[in-house]
Amino acid sequence: MDLIEIKDVSYSYDDSKKAVDKVSFSVKQGDYVTVIGHNGSGKSTLAKMIAGLLPVKEGSITIDGLEVNEENIAKIRQRLGIVFQNPDNQFIGSTVKDDIAFGLENKRVPSKDMEGIIREYAEKVGLTPFLTYEPQNLSGGQKQRVAIAGILAMAPDIIIFDEATSMLDPKGKKEIKQLMYDLAAGDDITILSITHDIEEVLQSDRCVVLNKGKLFMYDEPEKIFAHADKLREIDLDVPFIEQVREAFGKYKIRLKSDDLKGMVEELCRSGSKS
Amino acid sequence: MNNLVFGKYIPIDSFMHRLDPRAKLIGLFLMIAAVFVPKSWWVFLVIAILLALALLLAKIGIKMIVQSFKPMIMMMIFLLVINALTIKTGDILFTLGPVEIYSDAIFNTLFVIVRLLLMISITTLLTATTNPLDLTLGIEWLLHPLEIVHFPAHEVAMMVSIALRFIPTIIEETMRIMNAQKSRGVDFENGRFSEKIAAILSLIVPLFSVAFERAYELADAMEARGYVPGAERTRYHVLKFRFTDYIFILICVLVLTFSILSRFYL
Repeated sequence: MDLIEIKDVSYSYDDSKKAVDKVSFSVKQGDYVTVIGHNGSGKSTLAKMIAGLLPVKEGSITIDGLEVNEENIAKIRQRLGIVFQNPDNQFIGSTVKDDIAFGLENKRVPSKDMEGIIREYAEKVGLTPFLTYEPQNLSGGQKQRVAIAGILAMAPDIIIFDEATSMLDPKGKKEIKQLMYDLAAGDDITILSITHDIEEVLQSDRCVVLNKGKLFMYDEPEKIFAHADKLREIDLDVPFIEQVREAFGKYKIRLKSDDLKGMVEELCRSGSKS
Repeated sequence: MNNLVFGKYIPIDSFMHRLDPRAKLIGLFLMIAAVFVPKSWWVFLVIAILLALALLLAKIGIKMIVQSFKPMIMMMIFLLVINALTIKTGDILFTLGPVEIYSDAIFNTLFVIVRLLLMISITTLLTATTNPLDLTLGIEWLLHPLEIVHFPAHEVAMMVSIALRFIPTIIEETMRIMNAQKSRGVDFENGRFSEKIAAILSLIVPLFSVAFERAYELADAMEARGYVPGAERTRYHVLKFRFTDYIFILICVLVLTFSILSRFYL
């Protein structure tokens, strides 16, 4: 049984059209799964349902065998954290320390243990010099790191990133993505990342493509981008590297590398041989 | 907005800053009572001396206290005029045209003004030396007994601390919207009253809509991190009464006692 199992889940905000329409897929423990699709394709709705912020009215979502519903929600929230898009609107405490403490207070961690936990996770995301800073003196990327530290401090199994880098400057974006890759590299934390960043998709283990609320594809990124024409059909971007691969494919040249440098080498080698 | 002194926290370290917020809140109530009870100038003198000492301990300049009086000047003048016209006891000091000014009018007004100034100084001292978040914790502790009658003390404290946290964010937002509207030709400074109202409206409507959006997202973020209103939580900040806090409260109690006794003996 997989860690997250989503079966025939549907959701509609009003009765006219479905934001999420009979979506089913499952995520293994420790996987790094990206979710792509256009605005309005149901990505965030799905994420909110997994986190129990929206009720699952049709179908079912289970996390480690526990069904996401009113009854289990407290247990599930102990195991799952979500990083939202807007860095300002998830900063609850008045300082970095207080914000990391917020989740611990809810989890009823004894007061005397908090300081140590806060320091440990602030260190992990590189925020130690900023512990007493107030949110208005932090950059967007730093605020997102605070949010991540606050979630890590609660020792979750699953972290959902809901377009967590989309409001950041290039530097902040890079930092948060690196932090996410580092977390994904371990086996303990399962990551579900909703994103528009096609380069990030290439780093993930698997990718969910949603279109108009329906599951369009769910596979390893390489396999998904092998169907570039299908992605173009629903107006999604194909990463540059895959475009190169595809262009050479038309001339019956199969390139296997995952980066540009490797491809160039491959091409030059095959050229010199013939 | 930045020159508002009343209620502003001065983030430095001092003896007064280190006192427990609960002790300072209790002290505030005791001292305000002590300022209101007496009829003798001697009590005011004692309170003023203690206040000066506290300011010294708080490393707060007299300039800040004087500035905090500014918003009250109009009210004091108004008070003086009303009293001068209505109080007709004591000796006639001088006459201004048809109006005779009596000594009691002047003395009574001065007495009330000094009382108000002392009260403002004491409150300014509290807010200047207490971090708003600590103040919230202190207020929550004071309201805690009311939970017996189902008063949501904790939720109120949470609301206040979130409101405090978002003040700078909302001010920033206001500036941004103002600039955006200015660049579209809205004039906030000039024009007739009705035009100014329209200009302000172009600021308030988007500000409210954004604030609501923020509130929804914040609620989601709080819920996702396991916050349940009314549920038991542990605390990161634990307030602890120390010896100096008890001494501080004791001094305030003594001042109030002196003030009450002064009504009978002075």
